[in-house]
This record gives sequence, C-alpha cells and structure tokens, in this order.
Amino acid sequence: MDQLPNLGREQEMLSAMGLSGIEDLFSDIPEKIRTDGPLPLRPPQSEEEIWADAQRLLGANIDLDSRPSFLSAGLARNFVPTMVGMLATRGEFLTSYTPYQPEVSQGMLQAMWEFQTMISELVGLPVSNVSMYDSSTAAAEAITCAVRVKGRKATQKGVVYVSEFVPPHKMSVIRNYTQGGGIELRPLKHGTDGRIDLEAAQEATGSCAVYVEQPNAFGVMDEGITRLKEIIGEHTALVVCVDAVSLGIMEAPGKYGADIVVGEGQPFGIGPTAGGPIYGLFACGKDYLRQMPGRIVGQTVDEDGLDAFTLTLSTREQHIRRHRATSNICSNETLIALMGAMHMAMLGPEGLERLALRVAAATESTKSAMASIPGVEVVESNNSNFREFVVELPGDARLAVDYMDRNGVLGGFPLGDWWESMSDRLLIGCDERTSNSDIEALSTVLSAWVEGVSK
Amino acid sequence: MSDIFSFNGAEGTGWSQPPPISEDAISTVPISLRRADLPRWPRASEPELVRHYTWLSQRNFGIDTGFYPLGSCTMKHNPRVNERIVQLPGIDRVHPLQPEHQIQGLLSIFFEMQEMLEVCSGMDQVTLQPVAGAQGEFAAIRCIQEYHKDNGQSHRNKVIVPDSAHGTNPASAAMCGYEIIEIPSSPNGFLDLDALREAVGDDTAAMMITNPSTLGVFEPEISEAADIVHSAGGQMYYDGANFNAILGKTNPGLMGFDAVHYNLHKTFSQPHGGGGPGSGPIGVRGHLADYVPSPVADRGEVEDGGATGDGYRYFWRTPDKTIGKVQQWHGNAGAVVRAWAFYRRYGRELELMSEHAVLNANYLRHRILNPESDVREKIPAMPVDGATVDFVKHEFTLSMSPLKEAVGVSGKDVAKRLLDYGYMSPTLYFPMIVPECLMIEPTETESIEVMDKFAEDFLAILSEDPSVVTTAPHTTDVRRVDEVQAARNLVLRHPCEK
Repeated sequence: MDQLPNLGREQEMLSAMGLSGIEDLFSDIPEKIRTDGPLPLRPPQSEEEIWADAQRLLGANIDLDSRPSFLSAGLARNFVPTMVGMLATRGEFLTSYTPYQPEVSQGMLQAMWEFQTMISELVGLPVSNVSMYDSSTAAAEAITCAVRVKGRKATQKGVVYVSEFVPPHKMSVIRNYTQGGGIELRPLKHGTDGRIDLEAAQEATGSCAVYVEQPNAFGVMDEGITRLKEIIGEHTALVVCVDAVSLGIMEAPGKYGADIVVGEGQPFGIGPTAGGPIYGLFACGKDYLRQMPGRIVGQTVDEDGLDAFTLTLSTREQHIRRHRATSNICSNETLIALMGAMHMAMLGPEGLERLALRVAAATESTKSAMASIPGVEVVESNNSNFREFVVELPGDARLAVDYMDRNGVLGGFPLGDWWESMSDRLLIGCDERTSNSDIEALSTVLSAWVEGVSK
Repeated sequence: MSDIFSFNGAEGTGWSQPPPISEDAISTVPISLRRADLPRWPRASEPELVRHYTWLSQRNFGIDTGFYPLGSCTMKHNPRVNERIVQLPGIDRVHPLQPEHQIQGLLSIFFEMQEMLEVCSGMDQVTLQPVAGAQGEFAAIRCIQEYHKDNGQSHRNKVIVPDSAHGTNPASAAMCGYEIIEIPSSPNGFLDLDALREAVGDDTAAMMITNPSTLGVFEPEISEAADIVHSAGGQMYYDGANFNAILGKTNPGLMGFDAVHYNLHKTFSQPHGGGGPGSGPIGVRGHLADYVPSPVADRGEVEDGGATGDGYRYFWRTPDKTIGKVQQWHGNAGAVVRAWAFYRRYGRELELMSEHAVLNANYLRHRILNPESDVREKIPAMPVDGATVDFVKHEFTLSMSPLKEAVGVSGKDVAKRLLDYGYMSPTLYFPMIVPECLMIEPTETESIEVMDKFAEDFLAILSEDPSVVTTAPHTTDVRRVDEVQAARNLVLRHPCEK
C-alpha cells in the first residue's frame, strides 16, 4: 500500500502512546455496533491494474469526439485549450481547499477575483460569486435570493413566474430548492412562435421574480426578453439564464434590465464530463449582494498596506449564520471556475466573439441543411437560434435517434424524453466543432430514416 | 504583482481558433439583441498566461505544498492516477444524456460505487447525484420530508441538531422548510440524552448528527439517541463528514441511522480544488429507497456478457417516489470516477485507511499534549484538550484559552504563526463549544516524521515571544489581511480601466 506512510510502523507509534494494538483506539465504539468481520469487497489493486480497468471500462463508453455529434441539450461539446488542464491541475491549486487563510492563499483568491471580474463583464452586472454547482442550482438559488430581496414589497406574495420551456430536469431542481420557502411557481407562457408571450407576462407584475432563459432550451434568441423588465417593473426581479458563449455576440442581460444572471459555466473550462463537475454562474446587481449565495472574494490590504485578497461577506454563509444563512452551499466548484477563468482569459474579447460566431454559424448551417430534407420540418423556422434548434419528424424522434445511432451519428436529443407531447421532435445541438462533414453525415442518416418511415 | 487585466495585447491576441464554417453568422442574431461592447477581458498570449497562472499557483498552499491539518476537511493526499483517469475521453468527452448502451462503462462504475458505499455504510440504496456534502444533506432531508408526507406525518416540522453540528446541517434543513431545534452538548461534546428526550415529540421530523462528533469523539450512546428519535417517530440522519474515522469498524446502519451522506472529496480523496468540486452521495435504508434523487444506476443480467464483459447490462432507473433532482445531470461523475479509483487501491482493506487516520490523530494529539519536560517548562500555558477522553478518532480539538489568558496569544495568533513554519492552519474557532478552538486532522497520509516536526514546531510557537506570535505571519506572501476593510469597502472586481 503506497498511500500510507506509516504502514508497518504502527507498533512504534502505539508504544509511544503506551498502547499495544490499534484496536485499543477503537475500544470506545460499543461492541453491539461493531462491524462483523472484514468488508465484503474486492481485493486491492495496484496503480497499473486500476489504470487498466479504467481504460477498459471508460473505453467501453462512446465519446462525443468519436463520431458526428449533435447532442447538446444544455452542455457544450467544446474544445478546452491545453494550457487549462495543465495549469489548473498544478498541485498548489488542485490540492488546496477554501482559502480561509488568505495569507497563504493569495493565488486562488486572486484567480477567483479575476473570475468574478470576467463574469461581471460578460453578463453586465457588478457582482459575481465564485461559482454554484451548475446552472440548475444557480437558477434555483437565484429564485430564492430574489424572493428574499423582493418578497416584502411584492403584491403577489411568494409568487415567481418561470418560463414554461424550462426543461423538466432543471425544473425539478428548482422545485426541490423552492418548495421549503413557501414559494409558488407559476408558468410564464410562451406564444405559438415559441417566444415569451409579453402580454401574458403582464400577469407577473407584482410578483417576486420572473425567470427566463436566453436563448431558451430550444435555442431561440428572444428579442422580447429585452422588454420584459419594463413590463414587470422594478419591484419584480428579472432572472435570466444564459448560454455563456452566446454573450460573445448577444447583448449582456445586465444591459436590458436583468437583476440576476445565471448560467452554465461549462463551455468555458471543462468538457461535458458526463454532467459534472461543471459550474454554475451567478451574478447580480448590488441590491442582491447581501442575499446572494456562495463565496465572494474582495480586494483589501494587508498590515503593511500591500494589496491583498480575502473571502468576504461571510456573514451570509452557513458556517457563521447556520440556519439563517442565505444558502447551505459550502463546497462549490472553484477548481472548475478556475479552469473557466483560464479559458476565458485565453480567448480574450475577440476570441469570445469568434467562438460565439462559430457556434452561430454551425447552428445556421445545420438548420438550413435540415430544412432542405423532405419530411423534416424546422419548428418555428423564422426564429433565430443559437446552438440548438428543433425539428419535427414524421415519427417518434426516439426511433430516429436509435437509427442514427446504429449508423454512427449521435443525432440529437428526442424531446419526448422531456415532454411526451413532443415525441416527434428532435433537439439538434451544434457547437464550434461542428463541421460541414458532420452536417452531411447527419443529413444523410436522417434523410434515410425519414425515407424508411415514409415507405 | 501580476495583473491579468494589464495584459494589453493587440485585438485578437490569445487562443487561435479556426474561422466559423459559414460567413455572416452575426446576421442570425436579431439586431436588438446584438452585443454593443465586448467584455473587457484580458488580451494575453499563451506565454503570458502560463506565467501568470504559474505565479498565482506559487502563491497558494495545497496538500502538495505541505502539511494541511484542516480539521473536518480530511485533507489527505490525492493520488495522481485518479487525475489521469478523468482525462480519458470515456469520461471527459461524455454527455450524460447519451443512450445507455453508449455509456455502459460509466454506468458500471456508478453501480460499483453505489454498492461499495452501501456495504460500507449499512444502507440499502445509494444515489451518487448530490454534488457536495451540503447538497447530500439537503437531498436526504427532502427524502425524509416526502416520506413523512406520504405517511400522513407532514405536521412534523422540526429538525434537531446538536450545537456542535456543522453549519451546513441546520442550513440544509432550513432550506427544506424545517424549523431548527438546537440542543446543547454535554462536556466532551457528547450528546445530552436528557436534552434530546425533551426536544423530541410529535413534531420531530429528523435529527442530524455526525459521529464521531466535530470534536473527533465517538458518541457512545448513539444507539440510545437513535431509539429516542425513532420512538418519537423521527428519522436519523448521519452527516458523513467524519466517515474517514470509522470505515470498516462500524457503520451508520449499525448505529441506527436511516439516511447518510458521504463526502467523496474527503473520505475518497477527490481533490478539494480551492473550494470544490465535491461529491456528496447519499445512502438510505429500505423505507426511504424509493425517494432518492433520480436516476440511480441499476443492472440486469444478459447472456452475451454485456459491454463491460461482466455479464450485465447497466441502465438508469427512476425510483418510484423520487424527490426528483438536486443537480440536473447525474452528479459530479468525474468526482465519482476519481473516488472509484481511490477505492480500487484499497478494496476490502479500506479499514486500513481508517485505522491509520485514527492512529495518526491520536499520535499527534499525544505528541502535542505530552511534551518533554524541557519543552514544557518554556510554555507559559498548555492548550486544553477539547475532549478529555482516552482516545479520539480521526481529529482532535485544542482550546488555546489558557495561553490567551496567560500571555494574550489567541488561537488565531497560533494559527497564523503556523503559516510561517510552512503549515496550513488547523480549522479555527470551530466547533464553537470549544473556546479558542483549533481543530487538527492529520489524515492517514502523513508520516511520523511530519507529525513529530509539526508537534515540535507547534510547541515552540507556544513558548515564543508573544509579540512575534500575535503579529504573525511574517514570511508569507502577504501579512495579516484586513478583513474588516474588505467587508466595509467592497471591491469585488477589477475596474478594467486602461
């Protein structure tokens, strides 16, 4: 066992303490609750054997890069600059913990302060924390935060309007996080064109908050959202969940009245990694600062007047405020946010813009290709889409996905898995790596499937 | 100081990327939605950034830098093969919504981890979805809440926590909508069973407790406490933060718990990464099994050997009465895979890990509290053991009150002085029931020599000139940081002005 420095030296240590056996140290555990015999588990393995098993088992998975892939649905098949992984896994970053001792943690604290700055610039709001678990928990805690801030003056007490197109798995997280606070979630309606119904949105006036996604789960960029704040008024918080990459070409929500912006940070910093660890973005206006969840880094000085960084506003947090804390979050996703900061710094402003344009171009090209397949209809094709769009098929999209899978293409996500009423609809996701040959491959297999169905 | 926002390259400096696959992509964005000004991010080249982040890393202290006795956080060595494994495309480049047959390897690792955690904790069903300990607490208390509802017990609106509990316990229960009843501990941090008897009633939903306690002491009357809570109709929740102390020796199931969370970033060495990621799976007994977050990994026998060659086909299963989701995918899969690799190293010998964690904690405690007489003579006032018990488990607490009274050196001063000696500080001022508390957890991955030297240096600090200790640290990148100013004059971002 190469992980235990004192293996074989137990007697030396026990003698120093005047003990005879390790079991003495466990004599305080009552006999009736002692484990009976050794753990019924497999034998230990060496590093080589573990590596071999990992290669074999994880090698049995099909990775997104091994075939044309159009599965996105909230995560990005990105490309992370090589520098990111190499530097973020430096031991001083990787093996540190929450920087409670700022004097020996300036590196991570400064990196997180830089992260806060880049997110603040990206979304157009003054304050960002150093990460939530993912976009769903960021969304959920944005709602509870908004209710704490706006609750008192709201005329619709505890009511929050949530876009009806928020996917069910994300909605489930939001429900779990909000049910304890007596918050009532009401659907914010979309029109037949798929965009927010601005007339119906007037109902939300006087509520605590409105939660929308821009672009929404179907990739629709919704101009109406820029008018939403005006409609709901200053006493109702506007929470906007973004695709972070889209902000290279789309306006920062802070500029059109968003009070809180949340989103998936994953496109910056880490691969889809089977859904985690990823990180959630959380940024807000100053009015929300003292009610926001998560860690925040501030700049200050040390005893000698040198610039220094430290965690601040900790009195919001669970280790101080206990059951009155703004959130229970303790461990967050700092390391992944660090990877995100590195990736963002690597891109720079114009690199971000180019990245967004690459995704937009891939989306538009794929959408045109799909529109030209007889029997495939792009849903609401007049809408502008970023990363995702929806097609209506002449049959169950799950069957189409199976067929394309058998022919070496990951063709998208069948929306029937989220909403049974949409079982003939396929969510197609594009990204900066989508190539013309990927699009051809998709067109070929999907056309073949449609022909097969039509026969 | 390296200021990333002072890097001011020409437009477009930075990472090279291919062009978009078609021209005029900006025309897809409605005009009113087009971005007016790009974010003022740095414009830097790769060499500049590599040097910047290397510089930052050198101003940060990790386990790799030195001894990190941060009690309650289990800062053990992070084996490097685990990091190599999660770079494999079969995890890094996998989407959680891929069809099951494409991710059989991942599912089999999830299944193996669920089973292992069930065995180690005496629970019947584990889900790996929660992504941090606090989220595990939240998820498990939600399961208990729905269980009570289904049994016509929704009037149970109170959760009991001892005053020595981690802050996340009351915070998580409060987020579920529960009222918190805090009960005092008796000396040594033991449960006060009389206080518990008084606290329980028809309104008790659950009790949350960690064992060993936050003082590092095993609670001998845990079964009695479980009986009291159960006979009142409440559920017992085990905070697994201190699981490193007991693995293979006892388990929460034997102690009478109904639900538990595990911290894979503590017990199973997923690196802490400056504050996260973590991973906080939960395990529950049979009566709660249908409520856990969905999905869980499951399997059925197949004749062709299956994709992983073990005779099974793996699939995601949605528990019948699931509370739904607490993270939108399947949890921190990357953390689960690292923890799996860690587990494989020990296998059935995981007990050795706990034995050495406990051996190390007791050894270091002994070294600090029993100095040679020449060393002892120079110390104005020795720390007081946070719990006067024969043996601790994986960590111990010291009250620095006597030194503070004698020469004005506080626990915080000692903690800051330790930084000068090249150590991370122990956990400071927690639990609150020990005045001037330092909480020390060496973990199983520190050698005798490191602990001997730490004890020697720690004791040396106690006899140092108080004016040196109270003004520490002296040799770190910055001196004591003004936290009051940080909170009063909030500077939460760079101005980004050229």
